[in-house]
Amino acid sequence: MNASIAKNKNQGFDQDKAFPHILMAPTILVMLALTVYPLLFTVYYSFTDYNLLKSRKNGVNVIGFQNYVKLFQNPIFRTAILNTVKFTICAVLLETIIGLLIALFVNSLPRGQKVMRTLLLLPYLLPTVTVALAWRMLLSSNYGPVMQWLVNMGFKNLSNYNVFFHVETAFWAVLAIDVWQSSPFVFLLCYASLQGVPTQQYEAAELDGANIFQKFWYVTVPNIKSGIFLCLLLRTIDSFRLFDKVNILTGGGPANSTTTITQYLYTFGIKNLNFGFGSAGALIMTVIVMILAIPYIRNAISSQK
Amino acid sequence: MKKIAVVLSLLLALCLFSTVLADDPETLTLILRAGTYADVLKEAIPAFEEANNCKIEFSEETFDDLHTKIALDAVNAEGAYDVLMLDGTWMTEFTENGVLANLSELGYSFDEDIIPATTAAGVDADGNIYMLPYYGNVTIFMYNKDLVDKYNDGVVPATWNGVLELSQKMKADGVDGYILRQGAGDPNVTDFLPVLKAFGGWVLNEDFTEVTLNTPEAKAALEFYIDLYKAGNLLDKDNMVAAVNNGSAAMAVGWPGWGAANYTVIPTKVSEDSEEQYTSIYGCWFLGMAENSAKKDLALKFLEYAMDPEVQLATVADGGVPCRESSLLAESTLEIKPNLAVVYGALSTGTYRPAVGFYTDLVNTFGPYLDSAVMGTMSVDDALAQGQAACEALLP
Repeated sequence: MNASIAKNKNQGFDQDKAFPHILMAPTILVMLALTVYPLLFTVYYSFTDYNLLKSRKNGVNVIGFQNYVKLFQNPIFRTAILNTVKFTICAVLLETIIGLLIALFVNSLPRGQKVMRTLLLLPYLLPTVTVALAWRMLLSSNYGPVMQWLVNMGFKNLSNYNVFFHVETAFWAVLAIDVWQSSPFVFLLCYASLQGVPTQQYEAAELDGANIFQKFWYVTVPNIKSGIFLCLLLRTIDSFRLFDKVNILTGGGPANSTTTITQYLYTFGIKNLNFGFGSAGALIMTVIVMILAIPYIRNAISSQK
Repeated sequence: MKKIAVVLSLLLALCLFSTVLADDPETLTLILRAGTYADVLKEAIPAFEEANNCKIEFSEETFDDLHTKIALDAVNAEGAYDVLMLDGTWMTEFTENGVLANLSELGYSFDEDIIPATTAAGVDADGNIYMLPYYGNVTIFMYNKDLVDKYNDGVVPATWNGVLELSQKMKADGVDGYILRQGAGDPNVTDFLPVLKAFGGWVLNEDFTEVTLNTPEAKAALEFYIDLYKAGNLLDKDNMVAAVNNGSAAMAVGWPGWGAANYTVIPTKVSEDSEEQYTSIYGCWFLGMAENSAKKDLALKFLEYAMDPEVQLATVADGGVPCRESSLLAESTLEIKPNLAVVYGALSTGTYRPAVGFYTDLVNTFGPYLDSAVMGTMSVDDALAQGQAACEALLP
């Protein structure tokens, strides 16, 4: 009798355990099909000479690590990695600082927060391509109001100067546009985190005689830390994939000064239809992003615990 | 409620029935190079649709997207595009890989009116026609008349040394003389080619087996090109044309379809004493048919229509540059577009960019090195040596 009950219980337990897995199975299958399958193919193609057109005649040949060797031997790819890292560091730092400062400012406003929030979010709501095209037009040497204004102000030598076509200015111009567009995203997340900071903690700090910076450092920061880390993680991943703006504004030039990994892969992988070569580059990029993201993810997990 | 449901069901059934019974016209899909090239062709579409009871859809793409989309579609059993607009440099790559239909096999042949030199890029070694020269693009020398009048008594320099001297004279006065084209890859390499050619250099040897970028001729050409930059500026296509037209710059190499107010033939030699070269570079836009098109008959009809002398002549008013002698030299043409006489001359004596399958790779590879040399982040020697090495790796 006891054995029979135990058996039934055991069967019931198994069924209970299996039920959630059955419910999750379709999602897991779709996820596998949409992520793991393409990833495996990318890994496979990265070891081949797959070219969309040429492979129709010559087939796809496995060439070992040749694509990877070619990539690391290529000075433009090395420049692209450096540019991407430089851009990511600058963009993430500037966007986080500016976004946080704006969030603190808006959060401190006694009224008009909703209007400010909406206005500040506008750049982030625009599609990247639209932003790039708008800035290209604004800063155009012949059509752009900004350059025309500068010329009218007396900078006559800027009459044919386009900031995107000169080594000294191109990188910083693209960075400034990215900061302009993405800081509102950081602002939004930080602002949302600030809403959750208990006002009693500020009151207690005030009673203890804390000044504005001490309140920020000892009350605000610990409370919004996880939000800031999330911003850092998301902006790092997004900045690392920078493509649209560079492709539209500079095409990677001048003199490769704005070439990013994605731009390089587009030029030498996609445009040339060398998908094998492009796959190798894409995998290298994925690994770098993962390396950069791990500390953030670890930190986020530990702070959740 | 029931009545409404019955009426709605009947309406729905009627709609479906009429859709099935409707005699839908056949649809032809075109993929075109955006800009004047597509615009002039689009003007001719309604008449063809009416005459052939068909519907024509088209998508307009940038240079790079056009190449990529045609290639991506070529791997499908049945293509999404029937008629393709093609750059001359894509011919070898696309015919080698079965992207284009053999128009000779479908019964197409050139007539004598088409400028013979413009047909070469669309014909394979066996004489099979794959691409038809639709838009007579050939590099021309844009200039600002007022500036040339002011600084050179209205005489457009006939030599490259003359261009440099005039540019330096203007630069000393705060005016940009010669404008280089921005954009590593096809834009800057094509912009450099007339100078390279004038100095006796070229990118590949005659049988396309060797890269010839690291040569004394190429070095002299690149150093000269950098001098031109120092005496001028560097801009993208739109700003370049605007600058020359509005007088903030004086000279640049461009294409007839760009809308320059004044242009003439590109200088053919470096100095008065040097050897004359064919420095006008062909960049004709061709029409072709996708090998995987399911509507080859209608597509061929459209190609014949688009190449018709009368249809071609009619495009002139909208900015078209036909590759037909009768259209270019017609009185009505020269009356409204006298500059097309210059284009006719250049079209008859231009130079083709190398007809190799890896040409797109070649310009994408050499472009960044050329750009780096011009910007001064790489020495001329290093740019040419490294560019040569990188391009050699592309040789089959």
